[in-house]
Amino acid sequence: MLEAFQESIKDYSTPPEKALIRDLTAKINCYVSFLIECRPLSISMGNAIRFLKTRIVKLPLTLSESEAKATLLSDIDRFINEKIILADKVIVRHAVTKIRDGDVLLTYGSSSAVEMICLHAHDIGKQFRVVVVDSRPKLEGRLLLHRLVRKGITCTYTHINAVSYIMHEVNRVFLGASSVLSNGTVYSRVGTACVAMVAHQFHVPVLICCEAYKFYERVQLDSICSNELGDPDAISKVPGRKEINYLDDWANRENLQLLNLIYDATPSDYVSMIITDYGMIPPTSVPVIVREYRKEHLWI
Amino acid sequence: MNMGRNNSSHCTRRSRYTLSLKTKNSTTLAEAVAAIRALAWVIRSSKATTMMDLEIELKKASDSLKSWDTTSISLAAGCDLFMHYVTRTSALEYEDFNSAKSRLLERAEKFGNQPVQMSHYHEKLLTKSVLQARKIIAMLGQDFIFDGCTILVHGLSQVVLEVLKTAAQSRKLFRVLCTEGRPDRIGLQLSNELAKLDVPMKLLIDSVVPYGMDKVDMIFVGADGVVESGGIINMMGTYQIALVAKSMNKPVYVAAERYKFARLYPLDQKDMVPALRPIDFGVPIPSKVEVETSARDYTPPQYLNLLCTNLGVLTPSEPSVPVLLISSPP
Repeated sequence: MLEAFQESIKDYSTPPEKALIRDLTAKINCYVSFLIECRPLSISMGNAIRFLKTRIVKLPLTLSESEAKATLLSDIDRFINEKIILADKVIVRHAVTKIRDGDVLLTYGSSSAVEMICLHAHDIGKQFRVVVVDSRPKLEGRLLLHRLVRKGITCTYTHINAVSYIMHEVNRVFLGASSVLSNGTVYSRVGTACVAMVAHQFHVPVLICCEAYKFYERVQLDSICSNELGDPDAISKVPGRKEINYLDDWANRENLQLLNLIYDATPSDYVSMIITDYGMIPPTSVPVIVREYRKEHLWI
Repeated sequence: MNMGRNNSSHCTRRSRYTLSLKTKNSTTLAEAVAAIRALAWVIRSSKATTMMDLEIELKKASDSLKSWDTTSISLAAGCDLFMHYVTRTSALEYEDFNSAKSRLLERAEKFGNQPVQMSHYHEKLLTKSVLQARKIIAMLGQDFIFDGCTILVHGLSQVVLEVLKTAAQSRKLFRVLCTEGRPDRIGLQLSNELAKLDVPMKLLIDSVVPYGMDKVDMIFVGADGVVESGGIINMMGTYQIALVAKSMNKPVYVAAERYKFARLYPLDQKDMVPALRPIDFGVPIPSKVEVETSARDYTPPQYLNLLCTNLGVLTPSEPSVPVLLISSPP
């Protein structure tokens, strides 16, 4: 999304008799509305847009158009580099210290941060096994599985129904997050809360890997109050199994509704540690990090 | 640069000498304080002309100090704390390198609260500030001790001893149960100290703790290190006592100075640098039998009630532990 914004800024030219700042902000708002129509924005996307708008507003008025554009483009580049790419490197560095030889790691779905951690740990020679837990309808775990197996990591693949069966073998659970809220709640792909809860019950430490730009100053107590709805047909149909057509006319039934939630909220009690680019922190310290570092860095 | 390198190796040797003096001398000088004073000495004698050079020298000296005893958490924590402060100071723009240097020295001296005199390595290195920190903790801690209470103490922590001394001096009437603390039998040393204070006390062997927990009102322990999650690393047996206390609803209070806060985050008992202490069973053990010789355990924050530090009384699960690490000076 940020790269798309970069392209749009490159192509942008100020109409005559209009201030760059206000006009550009208005254009960005249009683009954002378009994006929202396609799909509700994720929290990290919202944070990035807020960053961009803050940078636009802070542009000194004396800059010429090309200078302003160049500044914005370099700011976006820096954001991407520092907050995303370098942050991932720092997270990987911290996380591999928590992987010991002989460990069995469990992960759910497909998180880019967790994938990087596994690949890096494998590269530096740690001996470990990964259990990839997956769930319908997205079946994202298959992608992760494919990538890990290709690198030669020993993997086990299972469905979320079996997570309590497999948990007794597991030493560490690594999960990704779409966002971490102020009270330490982790907002992530639906099913994450289930895995974290089972891990907690088996006294297996749950480590959430999340870059700091995904932290959000909101508190959510459950998964329902703010979520995204996916396509209900994805639940009613099973790809490759045409004979399972019991729910084909679900839309006609009055007392039947299909609910396909995309995200869920994992309470902070189930989380042992959050690994961010600011280090390894307990989930109770998230609001502190949000406060302290946003003030200091102010997205720079 | 060559000069710098020679200088830093000389500083390293000098710093290690300071530390070794500490171990020969009393228990009153904490390792962390000795380390910080050694680093202050490095600053004083450094010939660096920029903050970067000074930082590099300090980093080398700090790494060498840490390698002297890899199992000591407070040593590493003290070094890290000071290095963190150095990095923050160098990040701020000081026009004058010398003023930055003197600011660092001032902070280090405040920590030792006594001017670092190069000729005084032979005297007893009593540092006022460590004692000051302990006094603050003692004052805060003894507020929790009420007349007629029974306190369970585990391990020989100077800070906890100070708390008990202060309470005794304010004429509070209380009883102390102290655990034997195998394998070091450290409880016996503690009982000697307490006998001098005229505090009624009872010695318990380690397995008697749950049996006697009914009569206990609170538990005081020190800490080798306080970790980022809010838990503590302390002498073996602390976790056991905390578990029993939690299940019987007895409060556990930890007394620890600020410099003991370390940037560690153990996930379980094995996730720390092992500190092994050989155990003498008194009878010869057959060679095929393995003995667990670990001397430290990790107590997670949910089993602790309060942390009494020289910066105030904190709860372990509060965000304050990492905040302290980030924001406040040593």
